[in-house]
Amino acid sequence: MSGSGTARLLGGLVRYAVLVLVATLLLLPIWWLLVSSLRPSADIFRHAAEVGLATIWPERITLEHWERALAGELPRAVGNSLLVALSTVGLGVLVCSLAGFAFAVFEFPLKRTLFALVLLTFMMPFESIVIPLYVLIRTFGWTNSYLALILPEVASGLVVFLFRQFFAGIPRELYEAARVDGASWLVIWAKLTLPLSGPVVATAALVLFIHQWDAFFWPLVAAPSAELVTIQVAVARNVTLEVANWGGLFASASTAILLALIPFLLLQRWYIRTVTLGTDR
Amino acid sequence: MGAGFRVPLRVPAAFLAPALLLLAVFRLTPIGIAAGGSLTGTRLTGETVFVGLANFEALAADPSFWRSVEVTLLFNLVVNPLQIVCALGLALLVLRPTRFVPLFRAAFLTPMTVSIALTAVLWAILLEPTSGPVNGLLRALGLPPQPFFRSEHQALPALVAVASWKGVGYWMIFLLAGLLTIPRELYEAAALDGAGPLQRFWRITLPLMRRPLAFVLVADTAANFLLFAPVYVITHGGPNGATSLLMFEAYQAAFAYLDHGRSLALSTVILLILGLIAAAELRLFRERR
Repeated sequence: MSGSGTARLLGGLVRYAVLVLVATLLLLPIWWLLVSSLRPSADIFRHAAEVGLATIWPERITLEHWERALAGELPRAVGNSLLVALSTVGLGVLVCSLAGFAFAVFEFPLKRTLFALVLLTFMMPFESIVIPLYVLIRTFGWTNSYLALILPEVASGLVVFLFRQFFAGIPRELYEAARVDGASWLVIWAKLTLPLSGPVVATAALVLFIHQWDAFFWPLVAAPSAELVTIQVAVARNVTLEVANWGGLFASASTAILLALIPFLLLQRWYIRTVTLGTDR
Repeated sequence: MGAGFRVPLRVPAAFLAPALLLLAVFRLTPIGIAAGGSLTGTRLTGETVFVGLANFEALAADPSFWRSVEVTLLFNLVVNPLQIVCALGLALLVLRPTRFVPLFRAAFLTPMTVSIALTAVLWAILLEPTSGPVNGLLRALGLPPQPFFRSEHQALPALVAVASWKGVGYWMIFLLAGLLTIPRELYEAAALDGAGPLQRFWRITLPLMRRPLAFVLVADTAANFLLFAPVYVITHGGPNGATSLLMFEAYQAAFAYLDHGRSLALSTVILLILGLIAAAELRLFRERR
């Protein structure tokens, strides 16, 4: 028996060793980027090329890169990303919940076909249509506008689907009672259904927000001008243009990472449930 | 869908109009634009003319297109199985919630909060050949530094590693959710019958994980098939076309060579392949219900 006990202990040790190794591989790059944004420029290069304890624990700390980043285009990029993401959330929740309500509550011709079409749009990842969409936006004369960044992302097949599933679970009797009281369907949607749907509204908002906050390909082609630059595009441009200024790059990349990472750490469970609803698109 | 309320047609029409209009304009019209535009070309005078399948013929005769197809297929044949095997391995490692395991689960998920563009930026710095910390680490261990993205042979494997760093934890969640639905009694009964851990994995875990694994395979393939940001940020398709994934080729055709017809023909090819992936996805979705 003691033989199998030793084997089990050994198995446990191996398991934890692998867990620690993988976690290090996944977390250390992020940690290194964050602490390096606080180092004097000379130290960044030195402790990257010559790896030692100081590579992961800074000897000297400075805020100079952060100050320079905050004085540059970074605040504008963060502001643009927030504006685009929050507008998309507001309009998207409105538009998608109206459609989800119709699919859940009403009977009408072509319902199944239309719903299948909605599902189809969420199986076609957005990236696959970026180039023809750009052609379309250009004929509208919308290139380099907030409209181009926001409007194509407002209606989401996944979000319509989420709303439909949730609304279909609300008992029919509630709607019947409201109709007897003479409420219009629009009032029912606004005053009865939406207030009962807090969780799905929050989930939909998070889906739409993450998608827009992380967006890179579309903003890169649709709105390349400096005034409309989003955070992802701003940071990515820095790496291609000025690898020499690592400090500034680290501070702006750290900002972008922290702005997504901190909400994740606070809302972990909920975030995971939300992100796994769709796939990476 | 159960019995809904029968109302005048204008009621559902009004509720559906904004979403369906936006989806029709911004999701379906571009598919038509890709298909239609791929059949046109631009004259030197600037006018657009119908050219039939000339753009596709030009692609078929272009070695750089076939190079891109080859690179995209090779990339997907390596990255998807690799990510799924790693994701399943991690899911099995964190399946039993022993001490600290919730912390490890959170650690494995952290890279998925880093957007694909920032993942590319991060690894462009880490794998920088002269002053990057990965080569610093190799030197500290007495190993020769590597060129990574500067080498025709290492660029694609490095791209696989970068995509996997972000993706593995994400796909792990789906597989972990699947593993958690397998009843423990099945394993206990098999153990009583004398089945070892490996036998239990092959006879119980894998067959019961067929659906989650198939789902992750299809979704992961769709995501990796469209990979763009790391190529744009780090390699620009190089060195010597070693990382010229199809999505980047389409981007180059549209924005570097300003070849309208070619870029839309490439978009059409991409959409056709994605259509096949979506069809597979739809079948899985039906099976689930």
